[in-house]
Amino acid sequence: MNELRRRIGQSEALSGWAFTAPVLIGLAVFLLFPIFMALYISFTDWNGISPPFQAELIGLQNYKDLLVNPGISRLDFAISVRNNLYYVLGVVPLQTSISFVLAVIVNQKFLRGKSFFRSAYYFPSITSSVAISLIFLFLFTQNGAVNKFLSVFIPGDLDVNWLFNANGVIHNALGVIGIETAPGFLATHGFLGQSWWEWLAGPSVALLSIMILATWTTIGTLMLIFLAGLQNIPVELEEASQIDGASRLQHFFRVTLPLMKPTLFFVLTVGIIGSWQVFDQVFVISKGAPQKTTITLAYLVYREGFTNFSMGRATAVAFILFVIIVIFTLVQRRFVNPDEV
Amino acid sequence: MNLPAPNQWTRRLIILLVLGVLAAACGGGSGFEESGGGDQAEGGGGATGGSDGGDAGVSLQLMGFSSSPAEDQELSKIIDGYNEQSSNTAEFNPVPDYATTLQASLAGGEPPDVFYVNDNQIPDLATANTLAPAEGNIDNPDDFYPNLKEAFTFEGTWYCPPKDFSTLALQYNTQLLSDAGVEPPTNWDELRAAAQKLTKGDVVGLVLGPEYFRWGVFNEQAGGGLTNDDLTEMTAAAPPNVEAFDYLEQMYQQGTAAEPSDLQAGWAGEAFGQGKAAMTIEGNWMVAAMRDGYPDLKWETAELPEGPAGKGTFSFSVCYAVPQGAKNPDASWDLVNYLVSSEQMLAFTKQFPVMPSRPSLRDQWLEANPDLKAFLDSAEYARSPAWVPGFQAVLDQLNSGIQGIAAGNKQPQQVLEETQQTGQSVLGG
Repeated sequence: MNELRRRIGQSEALSGWAFTAPVLIGLAVFLLFPIFMALYISFTDWNGISPPFQAELIGLQNYKDLLVNPGISRLDFAISVRNNLYYVLGVVPLQTSISFVLAVIVNQKFLRGKSFFRSAYYFPSITSSVAISLIFLFLFTQNGAVNKFLSVFIPGDLDVNWLFNANGVIHNALGVIGIETAPGFLATHGFLGQSWWEWLAGPSVALLSIMILATWTTIGTLMLIFLAGLQNIPVELEEASQIDGASRLQHFFRVTLPLMKPTLFFVLTVGIIGSWQVFDQVFVISKGAPQKTTITLAYLVYREGFTNFSMGRATAVAFILFVIIVIFTLVQRRFVNPDEV
Repeated sequence: MNLPAPNQWTRRLIILLVLGVLAAACGGGSGFEESGGGDQAEGGGGATGGSDGGDAGVSLQLMGFSSSPAEDQELSKIIDGYNEQSSNTAEFNPVPDYATTLQASLAGGEPPDVFYVNDNQIPDLATANTLAPAEGNIDNPDDFYPNLKEAFTFEGTWYCPPKDFSTLALQYNTQLLSDAGVEPPTNWDELRAAAQKLTKGDVVGLVLGPEYFRWGVFNEQAGGGLTNDDLTEMTAAAPPNVEAFDYLEQMYQQGTAAEPSDLQAGWAGEAFGQGKAAMTIEGNWMVAAMRDGYPDLKWETAELPEGPAGKGTFSFSVCYAVPQGAKNPDASWDLVNYLVSSEQMLAFTKQFPVMPSRPSLRDQWLEANPDLKAFLDSAEYARSPAWVPGFQAVLDQLNSGIQGIAAGNKQPQQVLEETQQTGQSVLGG
């Protein structure tokens, strides 16, 4: 009897493996192998041209060039970390809050034309990001729609050259209150070869434009996810809180929001990962210009690998980016804590 | 779970299924190679039938990029000519995003038989040991402009013959100049004065892209340059370069020179074509761009104004390279030789205002394009911008600084000193 059970178990295991084999092989070939290969390459000086396994192993040299050794690689890395950090700090809260509000609005029971609004908000997400970026190029030109629109509210003719303006917005804001140059300490000290004053520049006007574009394209998808979460909340809870005499606001903050925590966590995680990896908008709109203020880490990976012929350094940047994303996600998890509903 | 225990048959079926999937996957792979080989055999077979006996031809792939359908057509004509007179069969394969595609095919170990290489990529590609040397494979190797041949030479080895070339020269809007009573400038002072006079209303005197491949001509004219001739020392922060950048900065600050983006144009040619700028500094490609985009514009081209140290400009070129370890090196070089032969080169460059890289074709080309003499005359003193592997990072840094100078938030001295530092670490390390 035991013998029979054992044999059945064995053949079940076999068929289990057999049925999952196609997917497992696919994962191994297209996911695991490239990841480990990239990790290996990040320890070599591969130029991206000659066969990769002929490249010389140089240990941690690539990582040192990016993080320790003074030079152009470290400076470019610092610049892209700064740009990307401002990008994430701007885009993630903005897109999360806007899409949440939108989801709450289109979730109203008595809203007319609900499905129209749902499709309208979702529309940018299903359009190719390259096409949208090209349209934004026109919107943000000197005599484009954005300047025309803002001129209505701001006196005088507005002629900001959005996509070519390298001034950091924090620097600009400080300029308004009269701080034009760096106070001594900020100019002389720095981190990763970049002075603190440069770190504090804020996103450039050009990067800000790209941030607006990115926010606009992603809120649709995030709204949809929030909407699904909202509709998962049982109606009974709403009724119960109404019977208990909760106001609408109390209901929102005490019932809806806590129940939305898992969804919120998901949206924030997806948002953080996506924002750290922003590439296509930069590639289409600015290619890192003006004055390197729109170089993001993913774009740096591309530039190092494909125009500067140092694939080893490019993969090293990619792995540092991976670590940054993991850290950000963990920190964010502490704050939101999805398990504690 | 009430499933019956899998009997022998189902087990066999499962194993068969898995094997089938695996076989299909592998089969797909090998099928690929076979079909590649098949093509070749076919090409060879066809050729043996047509040509003189034992000389079995091979099929050759020429990979490159193309600026216009018209260029495609012209090159295809020449390739057809080659296929008629040779037992080999060549095919032109223009690819988008050329640099990335080339890099991937080189890294993949299956490069095309012949491919274009830009002059500034030679150091990286040569260091990676991907190019076969050209010496001994090309007829009339001395009939190329020396500076072009130099551009495709790295550490003493000449890798590939230049296909054709372009130089930077001054283009001016004849209408705007005659309206303002300005003669085409021939030196820096005249250029500054002309730009000042031409700047009025919506028109700016000079539009110039903020990148070293435009600004650098002023360094050449001032007697400067980014490195010394041996590429061992950076000279970016040397006085002539500072002088050149100061000169340009002044013009930008006075508003007599502008970036294309200031004029809401994607590149200098667009601003020039729309009449928003009276002068610009671009290359031979302007001819096709103005003809296609702004056919009514009246413009002419002149040599660049002389600087304190005389004339100076850049030339840009592309060559036909054969990969190291090519499958059929003889056939590949045969094709290259045909393409750079005087007759074919003239046929190609006559139609396109790029210039033949063989000085012996000079007069014949001029006959066909008399109004482009300035471009060709510039070849006498043009320099090909190519440096050392990894130098692209230095150029990126410098271009970012140039954008800063043009926008008015960086000082020339500071930008050049930063470039000096960055460059030295690339040259030294």
